[in-house]
Amino acid sequence: MFALIEQFYIILPMTIVLIGAFTLMILSHNKSFELKHFNLVAVLFLTIALAIVMIQFGNIPKGYLFEDIIGKVFIVDDFALLFDIMSITGVILTLLINTDYFHSRSYFNGEYFALLLFSLFGMILLAHAHELVTAFIGLEIASLSIYALVGYHKNNHVSSEAMMKYLVLGSMTGAFFILGTALIYGVVGSTTLNDIATYTNGHNNEESILIIVGATLIMVTILFKIGAVPFHGWVIDVYEGSPFPITMFMASTFKIAIFAIALRLYLIDFVSLHGQWNFILQTITILTLLGGSWLAITQSSIKRMLAGSSIVHGGYMLIAITSVGAGSQIAVPAIMFYLIAYFLSAVGAFGILSYISASGIKQLTYEDFKGFSERRPYLAIFMSIFMLSLAGFPSTIGFLGKFYIFTAGVESEQFLLVGLGITTAFISIYYYFKLIAMMYFYPKNEPQTPIRYTFSSALIVLMAILIIWGGIGSSLIPFIPSADALIDIAKGAINSIG
Amino acid sequence: MESLLLSAIIFIPFFTALIASILRLSYTKLRSFSIASSLIVFGLVLFLAMQYDPHGGMQFVRTVDWIKNYGISYHLGVDTLSLVLLLLVSLLMPLLYLYMWHENRKGYWYNMLLLQSGITGTILSLDLILFYLFWEMMLLPIYIMIGRYGNGKRQYNANKLLLMTMLGSMSMLFSILYLGYTHFEVNGFWTYSFEDLSVLTFTPSIAIWVASGFLLAFAIKIPLFGFHTWMAPAYGSSPTPAVVILSAIMAKLGIYGIWRFGYTLFEEILVRYSYHIIILALIGLVYYAIVAITQSSLRRMFAYASGSHLSLITLGLFFANIYSWGGSLYFIITHALASAGIFLMIGLLYKRTNTIRIKDLGGIASQAPLFAVFFTFFALSIAGVPGTGGFVAELLIIIGAFKYDLWIGIATASTMLLAMLYTFWMLQRTLFGAVGLATQGFKDLSKKEIVMLLPLTILLLITGIAPSLFIPFIEPWITITLETISQNIGGL
Repeated sequence: MFALIEQFYIILPMTIVLIGAFTLMILSHNKSFELKHFNLVAVLFLTIALAIVMIQFGNIPKGYLFEDIIGKVFIVDDFALLFDIMSITGVILTLLINTDYFHSRSYFNGEYFALLLFSLFGMILLAHAHELVTAFIGLEIASLSIYALVGYHKNNHVSSEAMMKYLVLGSMTGAFFILGTALIYGVVGSTTLNDIATYTNGHNNEESILIIVGATLIMVTILFKIGAVPFHGWVIDVYEGSPFPITMFMASTFKIAIFAIALRLYLIDFVSLHGQWNFILQTITILTLLGGSWLAITQSSIKRMLAGSSIVHGGYMLIAITSVGAGSQIAVPAIMFYLIAYFLSAVGAFGILSYISASGIKQLTYEDFKGFSERRPYLAIFMSIFMLSLAGFPSTIGFLGKFYIFTAGVESEQFLLVGLGITTAFISIYYYFKLIAMMYFYPKNEPQTPIRYTFSSALIVLMAILIIWGGIGSSLIPFIPSADALIDIAKGAINSIG
Repeated sequence: MESLLLSAIIFIPFFTALIASILRLSYTKLRSFSIASSLIVFGLVLFLAMQYDPHGGMQFVRTVDWIKNYGISYHLGVDTLSLVLLLLVSLLMPLLYLYMWHENRKGYWYNMLLLQSGITGTILSLDLILFYLFWEMMLLPIYIMIGRYGNGKRQYNANKLLLMTMLGSMSMLFSILYLGYTHFEVNGFWTYSFEDLSVLTFTPSIAIWVASGFLLAFAIKIPLFGFHTWMAPAYGSSPTPAVVILSAIMAKLGIYGIWRFGYTLFEEILVRYSYHIIILALIGLVYYAIVAITQSSLRRMFAYASGSHLSLITLGLFFANIYSWGGSLYFIITHALASAGIFLMIGLLYKRTNTIRIKDLGGIASQAPLFAVFFTFFALSIAGVPGTGGFVAELLIIIGAFKYDLWIGIATASTMLLAMLYTFWMLQRTLFGAVGLATQGFKDLSKKEIVMLLPLTILLLITGIAPSLFIPFIEPWITITLETISQNIGGL
């Protein structure tokens, strides 16, 4: 039970994000404001929010916000706070790394930043949700903003098509969530996670058959949002059609938020259903790994390849989720580590793409990268680092992420899945190294363009350094967290979930 | 200070590359930097060799926690096996830089620097994850060098090399993970140090899977027969420095892997199934030699010759007696020197004639006698003519083979004959006969080139004439290792 003043302190970051969103919305009517001002205001609000969450992390006991008024709906624990930190950092990085891109396209304006912050608000709500309807509201707030953002380039029919596709499919799967919630409510008489967990633990599977059905329906929504096969039909087209910042945002930040609720549900709520689900999850994992790899191999545009590969990365995390069900102790920290690893690599890769396309090239295919190492030697090195990290090459954070996940799989004796995971990692060498080969093995086919040193390029360098440090970082250097510390933080957060 | 010695040897080239890339040096400065770094490393390695005690087992061990949650540590150490390879790498690097003297493509130099770090790291790491890290790290520069600076179907061949090697690495990773987890389950704590993992015992049905994971990686690297399809194309497309490293060092790392990890982690399986691998290596030995005879390009010919000799080293390894092991380790040294020499000379030849097709060459001896002398010398060392180090090594392995089994001994001895066949026929067609179109006005060796080749020549002569200088250095380690293995599995 928190004191009233404490509760306001806890809710402060969320409130700041929301106020930031409204401020941007109001400011966007002021014609004298330029794009960079909006960007600045958004980043400013988010930085303050981030700072407060950082202070809160580890210093707040587990509890429920406004428990005497709304019950156990809004949970505060290190797990949720860690996801807050990740999402807010994600949005800040998305905003900063795309600075150049925003200026190069005329269709961005103030509302764009407001929508991004609204979406972030939904994600934070999602991370803190301890009740199914709240979770649904958080999910829809986040999703609705993203629907609008996907179609933000109004005059581009690809963008509009992507939005329609995502909107229709996304809303439909959203309905699954509601139906599942209704079924569960029908049995338990409550939608709070604690109550559901108590019920399922106290009853055998015969009596809680409706809960299984309901939970499976909820799972459908979650699997749809992370793009698992066979719910992956939208991924490639939507990623392709969206503006770069949004693709980056969906591939990294939004995925993190979805995993927040997925993990919470899977770890507290549906523990007793693990046995029922494991076969389904295994099948879906296998399909996701293979289907994603197939999609990624066959693409010629880098953006689409990254979209396909994001499905595969979802598959790796599903391996870990399956391992949780099979009794692995280390799987959950592994997922959180992997989320961070994938987040850094994807933001870096998309960041470079957006940085390049800010100077005018619309389609970024493998062919466009021919001779890139001669035109932009440094960017080529960083792009290679991101590709290596995505491929899970050792000495990058991506390798450690895969290492943790596969170790978790081996621990729970999921040899088939781990074998398949390693196989798809091997396949992924093909499509990631294809880009490296294009950059380094071919002579340049177009003249040198002058190099601009901007804020975006500085951030790309930062991403690359973080990736390398995350892969080899030792505790030798004081005050800088090593790769080890990261997993410790994740473990601490998991323990708080209880 | 001594505790940092190994780390310094590994990372000096890496940091040279890093600093040079940040300073954006011109290629002449980069060259000076690279040569300086390689000489410093060579000096350090010599210092290390001087301090090293052949009877002392693993020395200069350094362990620093890296990822404590999973017991992964930065764990380095050196013993005779790794010291031999370390000496070879650090000796070859300055010579290769000498070869690359006029190379103005900076990426070339960076890749060589990174390559050296990767290879020395692989040789010195005793933690399996660290080993895996360096094992993959050394692949990348080779990949870029073949694909960017190679010739022929370089992109395709580079990708082929990458994918096949990665396939092996991935299977090795799976085995490493399984070992680590089993150790956790049995002993209750995570570790990836190979000394800790070597105490694990498995039922044969599981052990064979774990062992195959490792063996696949090493078999592709060597390459054993059946895993060799990348070899000739990659050797054929590589630029000279890369092909020297591939043949002289990287192929040996497959052997090194079996020796270091195979014979400690799952020695029982290796001894039990040694017969199968011996047959595979024998097929390779004969097959590669016959294919070498039929090749029309010099580089591909010596690629197959190299494959044949690496199969011989593998054979020596799996006969597992003191002669054959001594022979194998000795052959690692002499073959590295000889193949480095021959591939460097092929590079020089290519610089002069722009072709390495045997058909286009001929009559070099009459125009460039010095070149012909060196070329013949290296070719004969590859074939193992008495007086060169190769002879001593092959003899030891063949003695070991006869000790193992009479018929296998006879089959192994055939390598001498076949090697003579392809070497002499090649020499006849390239050095003698009528002067070919490409070899007209063939320039003899310059002073710089002689300086580059001389160390290799002298070492090969010494190893050939006075093996007694080296045998006492490698023998204690072999005796101790063989004894340990036979204790562990109750008699070989």
